[in-house]
Amino acid sequence: MVQYKLSYFPVRGLGEVSRFIFHYANIPFEDNRIGGDDWQKYKSETPFGQMPVLEADGKVLAQSFAIARYLARKHGLAGKDDWESAQLDSIADLLKDFNTELRPYFGIIMGHSKDNKDEVYKTVFKPTLEKNLPILEKLLKDSGSGFFAKSGVSWVDFHVASYIETLEGLGPDVVANYKEITKHKAKVYALPQLKKYLDSRPKTQF
Amino acid sequence: MVHYKLSYFDIRGLGEMNRMVLHYAGEKFEDHRVTPDEWPNYKSKTPFGQMPVLEVDGKQLAQSFAIARYLARKYHLAGKDDWESAQLDSIADFQKDFNSEVAQYFRVIAGFAEGDKEQLYKDVFLPASERHFPKLEKLLKESGSGFFGKSGPSWVDFFIAEGVNTLSGFAPDFFKKYPDLLAFKERVHSLPQLKEYIKTRKQTPL
Repeated sequence: MVQYKLSYFPVRGLGEVSRFIFHYANIPFEDNRIGGDDWQKYKSETPFGQMPVLEADGKVLAQSFAIARYLARKHGLAGKDDWESAQLDSIADLLKDFNTELRPYFGIIMGHSKDNKDEVYKTVFKPTLEKNLPILEKLLKDSGSGFFAKSGVSWVDFHVASYIETLEGLGPDVVANYKEITKHKAKVYALPQLKKYLDSRPKTQF
Repeated sequence: MVHYKLSYFDIRGLGEMNRMVLHYAGEKFEDHRVTPDEWPNYKSKTPFGQMPVLEVDGKQLAQSFAIARYLARKYHLAGKDDWESAQLDSIADFQKDFNSEVAQYFRVIAGFAEGDKEQLYKDVFLPASERHFPKLEKLLKESGSGFFGKSGPSWVDFFIAEGVNTLSGFAPDFFKKYPDLLAFKERVHSLPQLKEYIKTRKQTPL
């Protein structure tokens, strides 16, 4: 049995997708939540000076999507074949592009940026949501399974659902009008394999 | 026989790694280069309103990395096993993160946006690059094969070689500090399966 250790900050962010994979697939792992001085000490040992980092029997893998895809492939959560895996990869990368576009707004929320919140909401946040969420919703409609892949749940559902949770936390109206994507998040969070974890995990804004 | 069509702008950009995978593999494909005039009409036919898009017997796949990984897996350009594939994925995403970090500088020097080139070079490009490129050189050394994967060339080599190619065109003096990366770029371009294509392809700054 492989010894897994996932190191990440004590937030959902880019680590939650892999935590979901472990819990969904019922794989034991060390959920190493670190920050502050512990992180500064660990940082130079990581491949890129970043987290999340996965250790699998001591071998190290960096980058959230590389980790999630690797674990997902092992546990039937990466689509039923290479074509479906590729479609899922494209949706994950679309979400990454989407998040990159929203960074100026998140920077303000998190206190890294002194730009005007209302201005950036109007010029960046809202238009980016309006461009991207309909694409995600169309993908869900076209899939027909209620998940992004026709064949069922995958790592990309976990990652998107966690991201929507973050967006929902920004305000009651942020994603309320996007029925398909909020339904998707509810469906993922109702998966019985995730219940114990969801009931017990720390609640965080990001 | 599978029919491939790769649609992208008439530049290297995010499409080139995919062209290189197909050329390396010796696979015929329709290299569909979309002009600025054609793009508005074609855009609505793409999954995400972006390119590159790969069509495989008419079925569409978006997102440069999803395309590259899908094709690379078919043609032994994605590492020798799932662990090596994951390591390669992490390096590609590490490079993508860097590209996002310096995007504002890049947009200005490429002529897509107005801005202070010198200020962005000093405040954005230099600090990010000095964190990033030494790590890439270290990864190459550790691999030992001359490519990012121990087992040999992969799609990630094509992606990063073209990134080095583009940036060294815009900042040649900067790259004098990274002879190993310049040698790596030459090594990729000199691969027997790519040499002819590299020699005859359209030279573009991007």
